[in-house]
Amino acid sequence: MKAKKILVRLIILLSVLLIVGALCLLVMTVGGGVTPPEESGGDEALISVEGARVILGIPALQKISEKIPLLELGNVLTTTAISLFTVSLILIILAALISRKIEKRPGKVQVVVEKLVTMLHNLVRDTMGEHNLKFMPYIGTLFLSSILGTLIGMTQIFPSATKDLSVTLAWALVTTGMVWYNNIKNFGFGQWLKGFTEPIVVMTPMNIVSEIAQPISLAFRHFGNVAGGGVLTALIYAALAGLNQFIFGWLPDTLLSVLPTVFQIGIPAVLSIYFDLFSGFVQALVFSLLTMVYVGGACPPPEELPKKKAKKTEG
Amino acid sequence: MEFQWFLQNFEDFVGVNLWTMLFAWLNLLILYILLKKLAFKPLMSMISSRQKEIDDMYSDAESQKAMAEKMKGEYEEKLSSANERSEEILKDAHRRALLREEEILRDAEAKAKRTLERAEEEIELEKKKAVNDVKDELSEMAIGIASAVIERDVSADEHRELIDEFIEKMGSGS
Repeated sequence: MKAKKILVRLIILLSVLLIVGALCLLVMTVGGGVTPPEESGGDEALISVEGARVILGIPALQKISEKIPLLELGNVLTTTAISLFTVSLILIILAALISRKIEKRPGKVQVVVEKLVTMLHNLVRDTMGEHNLKFMPYIGTLFLSSILGTLIGMTQIFPSATKDLSVTLAWALVTTGMVWYNNIKNFGFGQWLKGFTEPIVVMTPMNIVSEIAQPISLAFRHFGNVAGGGVLTALIYAALAGLNQFIFGWLPDTLLSVLPTVFQIGIPAVLSIYFDLFSGFVQALVFSLLTMVYVGGACPPPEELPKKKAKKTEG
Repeated sequence: MEFQWFLQNFEDFVGVNLWTMLFAWLNLLILYILLKKLAFKPLMSMISSRQKEIDDMYSDAESQKAMAEKMKGEYEEKLSSANERSEEILKDAHRRALLREEEILRDAEAKAKRTLERAEEEIELEKKKAVNDVKDELSEMAIGIASAVIERDVSADEHRELIDEFIEKMGSGS
């Protein structure tokens, strides 16, 4: 009990130090960050959509990874990682606060938290079945990480963690790993391999492709929705700035520089409710639901595993 | 050059950073362990234990209610039977009291009758005795008178018949 408390405090302290240090590094290196290409004119500079910024990198590895397309090895710490740590920190603090006073007669906060946990419990039970309730904590963790990782982009201090393909791909690979592990555990390795030739032998390449496509589609769905929302928001900002220029362009430049870009007030907020809040929630739900469906498919109810049962009774 | 720039930006945007992936896994693992330990497990166990307690309470109340119902029925039955019994006892007592009354009355009557009879007998006896006494006295008086009249000693034994006859005459005459 005491060791647990100390461990939690240690992790919280470490995360705070890490995030503060990383932010300091970010502020220090922000001047010499990504340089815009010389060819791009003034119009293109209005619209800037960039990936995660690098805070800490190993130059030697960066040189190697330049030759590998779409894969980075040298950039150790990016803004995405900071977002991830911040999300974890927030969740751990919330969990520690909740766990401090769990009582049989719940307070207002506990009632709300219990309601949410019960909803999650029912969702997992309805999707995966009663026998798969052990996956509930992982699904909850994934859902909370995903939704907070998306919403943290709204603070404008941290970018959305799910805007980075690395994060969603990591999560998707965990899902695939769970599916494969449970398949092999429940059906046996041979049976799992045999499953690829399932309807007819000709379908084998298709099945292998679909198996590989599963984590990729999972990762790109989540990443694409969040990143696309960011791109759209940037485009809309630029478009609204252009509209502002078009309508108030006749004003003298001195006045124009003082006035705020009127059209950028309010309209992006409404869109942000859809692209950040709603889309973030839906994508978190979809990712968790698909994970539940895939993993649930690999873990059929115990009575549908005759082979395993027979083996157990024999041995 | 243009294409190179596009590729660079594309990699920036869609590229996969292995370090970030590692951090994502680490974060997921730590979060999973801590959230499970701190939030999900205690909350679920609390919810289920509370649910169990409520269920127990309800089933307890249900069984107790059934028991009370049963006891109520038993008591009502007992009460009604007790009422019946008390009535019976009362009736019995009444009947016996009546019998006893009759008996006592009969006894008293018989006793009174007997007493009366004895009294009558006694009276009769007394009467006879008195008559005899009177007879004796009268006979003595008669003898006395007769001896005085005839101046001769009258022997009581010799003249018993005479005297009796006399008295008889007197008695019937009186």
